[in-house]
Amino acid sequence: MPTRHLIIGGGTAGLNAIRTIREEDRGASEITLVSAERPYSRMVLPYYLGQSIAESHVFTATPASLAAWKVKTLIGRRAAALDPEANALTLDDGTRVEYDDCLIATGSRAARPPIPGADGPGLHSFWTLEEARAVIAAVTPGRRVVMVGAGFISFTILNAILSRGARLTIVEVAPRILPRMVDAGCAELVAGWLTRHGVAIRTGVTVTRIEERRGTRILHVKKGEALPADVVIMATGIRTNLEWLRDSGIDMAEGGQGGILVDDHLRSSIRNVYAAGDVARGRNLITGAPEVHAIEPTAQEHGRVVGANMAGRDVAYRGSLLMNIVEVCHLDIASFGQWDDAAAEVYTAVRPDRSQYRKLLFHGGRLTGAMICGPAKDIWTTNDVGILKGLVQSGVDLSAWKSHLERNPFDIKPAFMATHNPGRLLPQTVLGRPSSSPDLPQSVNA
Amino acid sequence: MSPTATAKPSSSTSRPAQPLPGGYAGKLLRVNLSTGKVWTQPWSPDEMREYLGGVGLGAKILYDEVGPKVHWDHPENRLIMATGPLAGLPVWGTGGLSVITRGALTGGATSTQANGFFGAALKFSGYDAIVIQGQAKKLSYLYINDDTVQVRDAAHLKGKDTWETQQALEAEHGLSGHRLSVYSIGPAGENLVRFAAIQGDYGHVASKNGCGAVMGKKRLKAVCIVRGTKALAAHDTRGLIQAADDIAHDLKTDPTTSTLYHWGTLFGVTNLYKLGVLPIKNYTTNVTTVDMAGWEPAKLRHGFDHRGHQCSACGMHHCHIQVIRKGPHAGERVDEPEYEGWSGAGWQIGVTDMEAVSWLNTRVDRACVDVNEFGWVCGWVMECMDKGYLTEKQVGLNLKFGDAEGAYRLLQMISHREGFGDILAEGVKRAAEKVGGEAARCAIYTRKGASPRGHDHRGRWDEMLDTCTSSNGTMESANPTHQTEIGLPGRINPFDGEQVARLTGGILGRRHFEDSLGGCSFTFRTRVEMLARALSAATGWSYRLEDAMRLGRRTAAILRAFNLRCGIGPESEYPSERYGSRPVDGPAKDHHVMDQWERMLDVWYETVGYDRKTGKPKKDTLHALGLPWLAKDLWRK
Amino acid sequence: MRVLALLPDRCTGCLRCELACSYVQTGSFQPAKSVIRVSPFEGYTSYAPYTCTQCAEGWCMTACPVGAIRINAAGAKDVLDDRCVGCKLCTIACPYGTIFYDADTHKAYKCNLCDGAPACVEACPTQAIVYREAETADWLGDFAAERTARLLAQEVA
Repeated sequence: MPTRHLIIGGGTAGLNAIRTIREEDRGASEITLVSAERPYSRMVLPYYLGQSIAESHVFTATPASLAAWKVKTLIGRRAAALDPEANALTLDDGTRVEYDDCLIATGSRAARPPIPGADGPGLHSFWTLEEARAVIAAVTPGRRVVMVGAGFISFTILNAILSRGARLTIVEVAPRILPRMVDAGCAELVAGWLTRHGVAIRTGVTVTRIEERRGTRILHVKKGEALPADVVIMATGIRTNLEWLRDSGIDMAEGGQGGILVDDHLRSSIRNVYAAGDVARGRNLITGAPEVHAIEPTAQEHGRVVGANMAGRDVAYRGSLLMNIVEVCHLDIASFGQWDDAAAEVYTAVRPDRSQYRKLLFHGGRLTGAMICGPAKDIWTTNDVGILKGLVQSGVDLSAWKSHLERNPFDIKPAFMATHNPGRLLPQTVLGRPSSSPDLPQSVNA
Repeated sequence: MSPTATAKPSSSTSRPAQPLPGGYAGKLLRVNLSTGKVWTQPWSPDEMREYLGGVGLGAKILYDEVGPKVHWDHPENRLIMATGPLAGLPVWGTGGLSVITRGALTGGATSTQANGFFGAALKFSGYDAIVIQGQAKKLSYLYINDDTVQVRDAAHLKGKDTWETQQALEAEHGLSGHRLSVYSIGPAGENLVRFAAIQGDYGHVASKNGCGAVMGKKRLKAVCIVRGTKALAAHDTRGLIQAADDIAHDLKTDPTTSTLYHWGTLFGVTNLYKLGVLPIKNYTTNVTTVDMAGWEPAKLRHGFDHRGHQCSACGMHHCHIQVIRKGPHAGERVDEPEYEGWSGAGWQIGVTDMEAVSWLNTRVDRACVDVNEFGWVCGWVMECMDKGYLTEKQVGLNLKFGDAEGAYRLLQMISHREGFGDILAEGVKRAAEKVGGEAARCAIYTRKGASPRGHDHRGRWDEMLDTCTSSNGTMESANPTHQTEIGLPGRINPFDGEQVARLTGGILGRRHFEDSLGGCSFTFRTRVEMLARALSAATGWSYRLEDAMRLGRRTAAILRAFNLRCGIGPESEYPSERYGSRPVDGPAKDHHVMDQWERMLDVWYETVGYDRKTGKPKKDTLHALGLPWLAKDLWRK
Repeated sequence: MRVLALLPDRCTGCLRCELACSYVQTGSFQPAKSVIRVSPFEGYTSYAPYTCTQCAEGWCMTACPVGAIRINAAGAKDVLDDRCVGCKLCTIACPYGTIFYDADTHKAYKCNLCDGAPACVEACPTQAIVYREAETADWLGDFAAERTARLLAQEVA
């Protein structure tokens, strides 16, 4: 009898697992996908909002393509309870699905802060396709959009909101923008850039109450004048979707908000139950510590590793690297690894006239974190983005280069080459084999 | 606070847009250092076709904007850094720029070329040329990053040599290699040494006629350009690449250029020695006991740890960076000397220790004076001290032929105008005139105040004639290349003045054309027709050999008219006594150029169509060149 | 598979490869958009070209959320313009720094070996870039280590 794989969650981790299983077994096993939504890439929703792609472009699988992959689908259904002893999942409609092994990849959802009026109608989040559709309907030329939260999520849709002709104000409770992605020096550079591009930024502002007055939302704040808005987008963080596992007996941190505990094969405390993506408390590549990295690249790698293991390979995961990149008004901002590490030795440099910022963080000879900012049209910035990633990823000893890099944190390429990083990185693959073209069935071609 | 600006187009020029010819950025960058104002000036496709770029464009701007009372050190003098339509394209060696200004040595027009990546960076930043006027209130540098153009404080660069300046700017901006092109002056320019030069990109020098003094007078320490992000289109890209490849093939395979392709100008030392053209110890001899086999190109190159250091898109094995292997300066990185360096910082001052020449040559570039004029000044002091015409007390040190470290001390005295260096900083002609007596008779210069390239022109009359008659502060046409293409003889008797003058006059214009394209006179040593083909492919014009020569001759006429307006006429077209003397030994021993000089001038004037008496280009000549406005200017009285 | 062998000892830093590459990428000469990048390794000397090694993992390819990066007939990882949304995830996934982003087209782009006829190889006047059958490798490591040793030694002072 063929092995029965159950994938719970049709996001990045789930789809990558399915693709990898099929790369490995060429269709020999049974796969069942349970997904509350039709599979799409959350990563590309901002481009749908910005009207540079059609809605069809966001889907990562269609019913036809899933059928071609021989995946049995239960779309529109949510997982309700897992019974690891019985190897069975119960869905929200009571359906029971049995498995030989299963992957939990139910991801996250947008969280609303406990502000009076913040969960009322007419207030938006931007996380799911459904929420994206609502924002698209609301944000029209000339409208006053207030985004609460100046973090990664709000920055990913900033360009799109501007391109729709809206007037944008960003409100942030912290004293600066991007408090969880960049440091103060970089934030200052970015804030200056955004202000020059017509984005109003108000930091250090606590929203106390949101009320509706004749179709206009009024955001009352602790100090200063209230802000009127036609559209309010709450970009104030995310929560993992793990409540349904509460009684499963699977080990989780912080009641689920800290993710499912996993081993180096991404197995949970139950041997045939895997976890991946935003719900998995996986290994941090740099520190080795278990941590949730709610980012797309981690979901991809997790999904692939789980897929290979489910298909019978024995693939240990080295760990994920925390990394982000966002472009706002043609300014790139990226960070890698432990960029916010008070214990690290830090070299920074800023060139305001070219809007360039660099930050290198060392532990001994090892680069454990990095931050980079520069105009998107500057190809050398992008060159350095990848090189910084490579240095953090390889963990190479840069002791000989530290004084040079302290003097000039921009000059990383000679260090990268002279310490033979391409040679170190070339043998590295996530699955222990070359990757193949992602023959992911695509709706956009359909 | 330095004045800063974003370069915006001037509002006055809103003409209907014609399509921009390929190869052009379409704008001139204008900078007024007195006011800190920075603006751009579009130029029309008609003007582009008429003046091309480089010296063609620069000569016209100079003529239009610098009047006779605006001397080299007047704030209204223009310092023009112009590139051309081939810069930034795949034709070999096209990072070039021409510096055009009114110079400090002759007091007349200057056109002097350099390469590296400046011209290409300028184009990729959106400009065909920079026209600098005014004078900064304090030492400043010009920073160009696409549309951001700023006049910035350069207090931190004061006194730095040119290599230190480039390194400091690289560190300041966090940019390395060709991402930042820098042309700067050294201490010599800051101290207004009359033969101060402008050096860029580690080893490329716009060296002639004191252009560095002009820059120093403007208190402009450096111009630095971030490589630039803009696109340059070619009209017929495939055609351009083919033309570039054909030119490259020519350079590699033609017997007259293949040595240049392999060795740059290194072969000059041994080749010119055989002709009596290598200047040795200030023209006091043309023979040496040194074994010339040790000066073959391969010895000069492989005697050092060397790395290719080519200019934009160049495939020649020409420019190199060397690391000195032995001696007191072992480990130092230097620019492999051109022939001019082996001569000016070597043979002319009796230094024949390779490492010493190589080191001194780069030190000259870094202090930043013209290596030729330095050779003539230094060699003159050495000879005069040798003969007792100058004393140790006068000079401040005992300087003998062959003393490289002493020459370096003299260089420092000159570039800081210390002691006797202050007199020498005026250039060999003025220094000799000031010292007078027997010493004055030993100095090598032209009556205009310029001096020869690193040759003994007593065995190379075409270059002497050209150096004396030219209007750009150095040679403007000599060194014939593929001249049969324009109907001139492939070979002449080099000591037949009439033949020499006919050839020198006959090729007038070719070099002006080359110097208008934004490239290199070495990679352009192909047929003019090939260059015209590349230009046609780039721009979409149908540009032919005749157009090229006409452009060149038109430019030469404008420069000459400029000089005449400055009071520089035919009376100054003579070599100094030593420069025009009879060689005492060597291969050219029996030939004395002055025996034939007047006849050479007659024939040259007749050949170029200029009036022998007034020096003016004749009316007919100007009309034939399509310069009726210049004819009106020159002949209205 | 044929790969771009980079032979840094031959490179003179003329940047002609960047011109040729940008012509393929954009139709005009715009080295700011070349995906082969030439950098110095000892002060202003010792230049070497650098571009995608077409690594086995294909970090850019596996990171792409919409499957816009595929392996083309020449064996190169190649961006499909109609699929790419310009999210830049590939640029942080690639540990070599060799996939780029065109701010004008809003698409990622990289070396695709010109589908088997690399323009940089044709353009290089010194044969520092050779298209040949080989295992992809760390082409610049030894060169960079040797040349930068002097740079670092000087800086200690």
